[in-house]
Amino acid sequence: MNFEKDQLRKALVSLAVEKVLFDIGDPVYEKVIKQLSKDYDCYLPDCYEHPEYLNKVLKKIFGNSYVTIVQAIKKELDEQIIEKPIEIFISTISE
Amino acid sequence: MQSNFERVEEQKSLFACLIITGLGILVATFLGKEMVKMVTDLTYIPVAGMLVVFSIIISARFRKTGNHGKAWLLFTGLAISWFIAETTWTIYELVYHLNPFPSPADAFYLIGYPFLFLFTIHYLKPFKKLISKKLIISAVLITISVLIPSLYMTIENNSNESKFAIILGAIYPIEDSIVLVPAIIGIVLFFRGEVNFLWTLLLIGILFEVIADTGFQYFTLNNSYYTGHPVDILFIWSYIMFSFGVYSHIKIFKKETKIKESNKFV
Repeated sequence: MNFEKDQLRKALVSLAVEKVLFDIGDPVYEKVIKQLSKDYDCYLPDCYEHPEYLNKVLKKIFGNSYVTIVQAIKKELDEQIIEKPIEIFISTISE
Repeated sequence: MQSNFERVEEQKSLFACLIITGLGILVATFLGKEMVKMVTDLTYIPVAGMLVVFSIIISARFRKTGNHGKAWLLFTGLAISWFIAETTWTIYELVYHLNPFPSPADAFYLIGYPFLFLFTIHYLKPFKKLISKKLIISAVLITISVLIPSLYMTIENNSNESKFAIILGAIYPIEDSIVLVPAIIGIVLFFRGEVNFLWTLLLIGILFEVIADTGFQYFTLNNSYYTGHPVDILFIWSYIMFSFGVYSHIKIFKKETKIKESNKFV
């Protein structure tokens, strides 16, 4: 049951990040994915367990304007933030 | 991926371009009005042309995808329209020796503004949830405080220009003020933190354009404007900032190799 819930959260987080990046443009999404794969050998859904990877990649690509991207992801996950693991995810990518 | 070294090099190139064009026009001023006119007119063409090339490249890269895809298409419309305007201005002035203001060039300058406005809207759209009413109101108030003196200057002028030229001159600050609202919002939004400098260049370029237009209107109305006037440096700088901003996007989002499908969760 807990495993299923966690898988669901993982999907939610992944979809939220995807949505924010695709909303900006395909090349932005592609760049983030490519960088995650290149630097950490991981895929977007894995960032749920390793939000620090996403944090570093966003910082590397967007400089300090990563804050704007993170805030957009946060807004996308607004209703789910009450859940502890998602709160941890958000706070880690915001660091 | 841009390394810190590349970023510093890009910023150095930008400052070099700004200094070279600015000094070029100032030096030409000392060589006479005909010389500065020629130097300035002939600087506008490659500078505006470069922007067209970069805009087409970034539009092709984004291929209408996402809000920035649409934004870049609109930006290409702006670049093409202003390139035609600059070319028309130069032909009027250097080939036919006619006063280029007012002229068909103005039609192309004015067409560019709706493109620029829609570009900023689409560029900021992914971040719309972060734009507070307070920020919008502040941007509108700043814009109005810029617009009112401009309009007052137009109405209360003693210029030799025709009524048509004065009305045409007044349209520019109005269009500028419409564009300035999203530009200010963007600058505030992306400047939270110490933002990637080159990304904000597009928005700072708009700011320079607005200042230059206000200056152009002021000096035209008191009959002291000539091609090569220091206010032209600001126009050229805004093109350069736009070009570096677009170039930065091209470098960051250059074509990547195929991405594995495993990234798609669902």
